[in-house]
Amino acid sequence: MKAFRDRRSDLALGVAAAALLFALAPGAQAQIPRDTTPVVAKTSPADIAAGKVRYEAICARCHGLDGGGSDGPSLQGAPDRLGDQEVGNILRSGIPGTGMNGFAMSADEAGQVVGYIRTLGRTADAEVAKGDPAKGKAVYESSACSNCHIISGQGGGVGPELTRVGAMRGPSYLRATLLTPGAILPKEAGAMERGRFTQFLFVHVVTKDGRSFDGTRAYEDSFTISIKDATGRFHTFRKLDVQEYEKLPGRSVMPSFKGTLSDAQIDDLVAYLSSLKGPAAQ
Amino acid sequence: MRTIRYAAIALALLVPAASLAQSPVPYERIVKSDSEPANWLTYGGNYFDQRFSGLKQLTPENVGGLKLAWAYQPSRPAGNVETSPIVVDGIMYVTEPPSTVTALDARSGARLWTWSPVLKNVVAIGLFQTNRGVAVMDDTVYVATIDAHLVALDAKSGAVRWNTVVADNKLGYAITGPPLAFHGRVMIGTGGSEAAVRGLLDCYDAKTGKRLWRIWTVPLQGEPGSETWGTSVPAGGTTWNAGAYDPKLNLVYWGTGNPAPDWNGDDRPGSNLYTCALLAIDPDSGTIKWYFQFSPHETHDWDASEPPILFDQAVGGKPRKLLGFANRNGFYYVLDRATGEFVAGMPYVKQTWAKGLDAKGQPIVIPDTGPSPEGNLVFPSITGAINWTSNSYSPVTRLFYVDAREMGSYFVKGPNTHWEMGKFPMGAGGERALSGDDAYGAIRALDATTGKMKWEFRLHSPSWVGTLATAGGLVFSGTDEGNFFALDAVTGKPLWDIYLGSSLRSNPVTYSAGGKQYVFVTAGTTYFTFSLP
Repeated sequence: MKAFRDRRSDLALGVAAAALLFALAPGAQAQIPRDTTPVVAKTSPADIAAGKVRYEAICARCHGLDGGGSDGPSLQGAPDRLGDQEVGNILRSGIPGTGMNGFAMSADEAGQVVGYIRTLGRTADAEVAKGDPAKGKAVYESSACSNCHIISGQGGGVGPELTRVGAMRGPSYLRATLLTPGAILPKEAGAMERGRFTQFLFVHVVTKDGRSFDGTRAYEDSFTISIKDATGRFHTFRKLDVQEYEKLPGRSVMPSFKGTLSDAQIDDLVAYLSSLKGPAAQ
Repeated sequence: MRTIRYAAIALALLVPAASLAQSPVPYERIVKSDSEPANWLTYGGNYFDQRFSGLKQLTPENVGGLKLAWAYQPSRPAGNVETSPIVVDGIMYVTEPPSTVTALDARSGARLWTWSPVLKNVVAIGLFQTNRGVAVMDDTVYVATIDAHLVALDAKSGAVRWNTVVADNKLGYAITGPPLAFHGRVMIGTGGSEAAVRGLLDCYDAKTGKRLWRIWTVPLQGEPGSETWGTSVPAGGTTWNAGAYDPKLNLVYWGTGNPAPDWNGDDRPGSNLYTCALLAIDPDSGTIKWYFQFSPHETHDWDASEPPILFDQAVGGKPRKLLGFANRNGFYYVLDRATGEFVAGMPYVKQTWAKGLDAKGQPIVIPDTGPSPEGNLVFPSITGAINWTSNSYSPVTRLFYVDAREMGSYFVKGPNTHWEMGKFPMGAGGERALSGDDAYGAIRALDATTGKMKWEFRLHSPSWVGTLATAGGLVFSGTDEGNFFALDAVTGKPLWDIYLGSSLRSNPVTYSAGGKQYVFVTAGTTYFTFSLP
């Protein structure tokens, strides 16, 4: 309790995200507990269970029970992006100028919460890809995947970048996407007080002057819709000029590889994609 | 380090070329605010909180020609901008997050002065550190700060006249809402239900800052009303949004928020008075004249904190003094504002928790629609059919314009964990939100005396923008994606829109200066004003 109440001003936080928010906060001051014990994610089943209780009591109100974001931003993947120590700092010290308050807890307790946050939204731990990544890379190259996808700067930008796809998605998800593209679509990251919209949603637009367009939704608001067609070209419409607008979950501009690739080739491709973890976490 | 608690920073940065005649705003002038539509004298435009302007320069015929007049950006914005300004004789008094007050030349956006409190170790649990607006009376601007102070500033300089602690921020009391200034008094409520504070509503002497009275919205154990709480310690019922005032009836109307903990009501059997209720208060004695509880024993976080709207209209051929209230729980209510009698009510969004309202306006609750351990899908969502934004009422169209949020949540009931006031949020559960594609928003025009929908204009997603109605026949609002738009007040037809690049999270207002009508709204951290060229 004392650590929570007795704070000192210190703007020397060495982490970009928090430092930016501090810098932007007029009149607000950093709230740093004196307990500077490093926070490390604690991942035993008992620790994760304890972290879950604390998470649901203090975090879920704003960040969602699944960590996907609600009033507050998504926490899924936050320990990977920021590191356990920084997530622990924010948990205990808050982010001044925002709705994120610091909460009284020890470094060990914070470690339990961070350990639980590490389990949220993660599909990548569920199974291990069984194919051969090296063969999968060859399948990737021979199947013209790079016409539409970028890995480490190389390829075309029609579809989503795959540089870190193995860290984001599990093998079963990748397999399902290769076989039935559009069947399971990711949601955008949680934004403040906003529902998470489906990403890469296939839509069909017919304008009042009779032109028809299919593609992936790139942007939508109450007055405008922008789609990206199968060639990567963007088309933007005023909704007042649109006759028909259909959301078609399940469809995709990406072709299915069912029947095009053998089961073994699919396994290898999944193994290759699963190996793509991007640059090492800082 | 600055050692004084607050420091006035009055910056005469830019002196406008044309002189601005800043006249005082006595109470009598605010009572008659409808007679000077060039100004926007209270948070809701008038004491009735109608957010209706008598200005007619902008019409359905010419609104398509609106252009940017000026934009203002706070020097160090932090967090959501949710402010709604007051405009007096060409001067705009606006707030910046968390608790800064700035005076702008309403014609140019030139900053005339700004004042910021020195904030240390702010506790803000379950709320954003933002501010929704000030009150102005005589020559003073009143603002409440995130650390629960009420401050009186000189309207010409921003210098502090007095600074009073409303409640202890360390316990979780925090203020984001606007004060209500009238007849020598200033009233203010606080937030903090998620920190399990005891709700209160205060009245202060406008000249001295001395507290005249306080109403606790929930009783202590053993006090009258505590029988509606079982054996639990009553908590919550905060008063974090704007109130309205009827000078003739001399009654103040103020809504209260959820009981604590939010989603697990097991320890608080009963109706939990006076949470999720509307209070009608005699400001002379500081007593509750009547109350109307919308959501007894609330477990969905559906605060009844929406600003009430007062209006006079006939019902069944008989003139009535009415109060319209679009509640976060999905129902629109019409009450007799003299007596609290329920006049009419019906849902204005999809709702799945009540079969309807009984003859007294009480919900006929459908069993098993509360939070459950595995999650129970109920409409509206945790953020409600509306949240903190303001509705508007046009005495011309006699319609009530609401920014409706069509969304559900899986409500999850958690354990009643140990808590200490101000140190731990009192959630005991939460939500799994539906995806954005399973939700939408709408601007809806309701018959003000029944709630029956006359028209709607659909929005891509549930919005956080209030509505503004004008005598020129327009309704302005905005979207969470960044659109600001004008609709025909009679038909709902879209007439003008502009993309501002970031979420709008404020209530638009309109005013006139130098013979020109302006419309104001914020998007992201930028303050925009539009007019005809």
